[in-house]
Amino acid sequence: MSRPGAPSRRLAGCVALTATALALAGCGSDDSSSNNAGKPELKITGAYMPAPVMDTMAAGFFTVTNSGGADTLTSVTSDLAPDVTLHSTKGGAMEEQKSFAVPADGSLDFASGGNHLMFEKLTHKPLEGEKVSVTLHFAKAGTVKVSMPVKSATYNPKTGH
Amino acid sequence: MRKKTYAAAALFAAAALTLSACGSGDDSNKPIADVSAEAGTGKAATVLDKAFEKPDLVLTDTNGKKYDFRAETKGVPTLIYFGYTHCPDVCPTTMSNLAVAKKQLPKTEQDKLRVVFVTTDPARDTPATLGKWLKGIDPTFVGLTGDFPTIQAGARTLGISIEPTAKDKNGKLVSVHGTQVIAFSPKTDGGYVIYGEDATVDDYTKDLPKLIKGENP
Repeated sequence: MSRPGAPSRRLAGCVALTATALALAGCGSDDSSSNNAGKPELKITGAYMPAPVMDTMAAGFFTVTNSGGADTLTSVTSDLAPDVTLHSTKGGAMEEQKSFAVPADGSLDFASGGNHLMFEKLTHKPLEGEKVSVTLHFAKAGTVKVSMPVKSATYNPKTGH
Repeated sequence: MRKKTYAAAALFAAAALTLSACGSGDDSNKPIADVSAEAGTGKAATVLDKAFEKPDLVLTDTNGKKYDFRAETKGVPTLIYFGYTHCPDVCPTTMSNLAVAKKQLPKTEQDKLRVVFVTTDPARDTPATLGKWLKGIDPTFVGLTGDFPTIQAGARTLGISIEPTAKDKNGKLVSVHGTQVIAFSPKTDGGYVIYGEDATVDDYTKDLPKLIKGENP
C-alpha cells in the first residue's frame, strides 16, 4: 500500500518551512546571496560626538542600518581632524580596523565601549551643541555625509541625556 | 511516526541555528558584554561578598609629589579607575560621569569624596599631561603616574588586567584601560563595590551619597 510519492512530499514540506523560518529571521547571512549582490540601502542614525576633554582627540558614534545588499565602511573623513580612524574595542584595548562590514539587511553599530571613530589632532576643541561634519565612505554606496552633533561628555544614547 | 519526529527535529534544529546565527553578528565580543549587563538586576553597582584590599600603590601625583594611595585615602570614601589620557572613548566618559555625579552632591559631601585616576600609560601620561587632562574634567580629581609594573601589579590585586602600551601594526601607540570603577569604604577601607563601564551619570548620582557613608548602594 505504500505510495512512493508520500515521503518526498513530506520532505518538501519540511524544506519549505525551514526556508520560511530563515527568511523570517532575516539575518541576511546565509540565505541572502541574491541580496549580497543587491544595492545597499544605508541609513545613518544616532550619530553623536561626546564633547572631548582636550583638542587632542575625540570619539564619534553612529549606527548604519542597511535594508539592501552588503556593503563595507572603508574610511571616514572630517573637517574637524586630518586623522580619523576606525577602532574596535575588546576588554579595554582598542584596535584599529581598516574597514567594517555592513551586512545585508543588517546594521553596523559604533557605540561607546565598542566600535568608535577616533579623531586626532583636532582643528579645535568642539563644544556641546556644535555640529561636526563627517563623511562616511562605503565601498558600494559611496560617500554619505553626516552632521554629527556634539553632546555632553557624559551623553548616553540609552538614557538620552 | 519515527520519520515525522525526525523531520520535526530537523526543523527545530534549523530554527535554532537561525536564531543563534542572528545573535552572533560581526562582533563576537559584544554578546558577552550584553549578557553580563543583562545578568544584573538593572543596577549598575555590584556589591562584592569579599572586598578587595587597597592596592599598595606609591606613585606620583599631578604636582610631581609622592602619593601613597593607602596612606592618603585611609578612612576616606574613594573611587579608583585605571585609564589613559590618549583614550578617545571610555576613559573620558567614565571620569566625566564621576565628575558630573559628584557636582550634584552638597559641597560638604563633595569634599569628602576622593576620586583617583591611575594611568595605564605612564610613559605618555606625565604628571603635567595628567594634570592638564584632569583639569578639563574635575580639578579635584587625583591623577597618579609612575612605574608601569607597580601600576599593573596594583591593578591586578583589584582584578583589573592591563597591558603595557604597545605599537599597533600601523606604528601607533595603543594603551589599555580598565573596564571598572572600584569604590572603597571609608569604614573598612575595603574595595566593596564595582561599576562596569556601562554605569551612567544617573547611576553614580544615585549611589554616591551611600558610597560616601560606606553603605551598600
